[in-house]
Amino acid sequence: MILLQEIIHQTYFMMSAIIAVLLLTRLFRRKTRPGLAYDIVYAYAIIPFILRALHIK
Amino acid sequence: MSARILLARRLTLLLASLVLMVVGTKDIRALRAYQETVVVAEGLTKQVPLSMYFAGIAGTMMDTPVYVFDSGVPGGSVLILGGAHPYEPASPMMAYVVIENVKVTRGRVFVIARANRSASLQGMLGNAYPPFFRVTTPWGGKTYRIGDRETSPLEQWPDPFTFVHYPSTQNQAYQDSRNLNRTFPGRPGGNLTERTSFAISEMIRREKIDMTIDVHEASLGYPVVSTFVCHQRADDMCMMASMVLSAEQFPMKTETSPTSLRGFTHREIGDFTDSFAVLMETPEPFIDKFVGPMTEALMLTGKDEFMQTAADRGLLYADYNSKTGSPLEYRVGRHLAGAAEIIKQMGEFFPAKKVEVSWPTYADLMARGVGAFLHDPQKADAKRVFLN
Repeated sequence: MILLQEIIHQTYFMMSAIIAVLLLTRLFRRKTRPGLAYDIVYAYAIIPFILRALHIK
Repeated sequence: MSARILLARRLTLLLASLVLMVVGTKDIRALRAYQETVVVAEGLTKQVPLSMYFAGIAGTMMDTPVYVFDSGVPGGSVLILGGAHPYEPASPMMAYVVIENVKVTRGRVFVIARANRSASLQGMLGNAYPPFFRVTTPWGGKTYRIGDRETSPLEQWPDPFTFVHYPSTQNQAYQDSRNLNRTFPGRPGGNLTERTSFAISEMIRREKIDMTIDVHEASLGYPVVSTFVCHQRADDMCMMASMVLSAEQFPMKTETSPTSLRGFTHREIGDFTDSFAVLMETPEPFIDKFVGPMTEALMLTGKDEFMQTAADRGLLYADYNSKTGSPLEYRVGRHLAGAAEIIKQMGEFFPAKKVEVSWPTYADLMARGVGAFLHDPQKADAKRVFLN
């Protein structure tokens, strides 16, 4: 049970890291919505995922 | 726009976000890394990790130090449990004053200052709480963490949709799965908070602790403020202590732990161990929802004009005057006196369980403040200095 909990818990950190990488990729490589506003949103939205992946918040 | 300019713009935005992230989380990182210093009283017998009683929390942020003061004279034993809810700062402060000043001449005293250590390492979401508070001392000052109410999601996540308490199966709010005072008696195969509750329960059983005093603070809009909440086996002692305190020092109510309210120390420790379970609450404006800015000053003084308005309209469950407030020394002094009185009553009712103990009194705290009873780690013997 504890092992299962730990696997689920660590999966959330991994998911955060994957989403951060995904957002980073989309910030630099995307074909639609190339405007400044979207650049800002992509750059800003990365923050909480990095914080979780790094066990900061 | 050329590809090079676009790349430069995006790199700049990314850099700006990272700078914002680093600057914006300065307090969060500092709180998670900060260690409190405690200069233990000369009578310390040993300091052990809580995981000594249950290895299932070893190596986690919930493994907290237990300070043991054994007089060597047969008698009873008491556990003072501070910091189950770290955002109620008079609780760990009371435990620290005990650890730094206690003298035990009969029986044993166990003290945990940070029962939910993980919760003390994160701020409270949404309330703009300060991360730290500083207690002024004759030699300078000491800084302490304020913290949150629940175990950090960095240690325990995700929350269930509904937390099902073990073993009663009572349904509770989802966040209570991370609330140490809702997960007792705990279970060895449960979530991290339940395992911590189990470790504390195990310690009480193995050490044959006669009385457990769980130290809290309450908002003044909460009926249980300024109250002993006691398991039915401890009722008589609580009533006597309440009468003595109310007659001689400050208003103190008492009530019996409801049998249908599960997961609390005052219910489950009483049911699942032989210990007398007692919980104490003080009036703490800082955690009320209708006060002004939740600043360090409010936490230290308890002075708030909105609280006064509520008092004027008869909405509070404790006396309140914004000129005197509810300062830290008042709240810590209440806890010290409350614990001393209930321990004394245990000795009166059960002489074989008598614990002779002394620490600063309510009058001492009101006259000299909390800082007068905290020692300078720079000047203390290094063997007496511990980090929490």
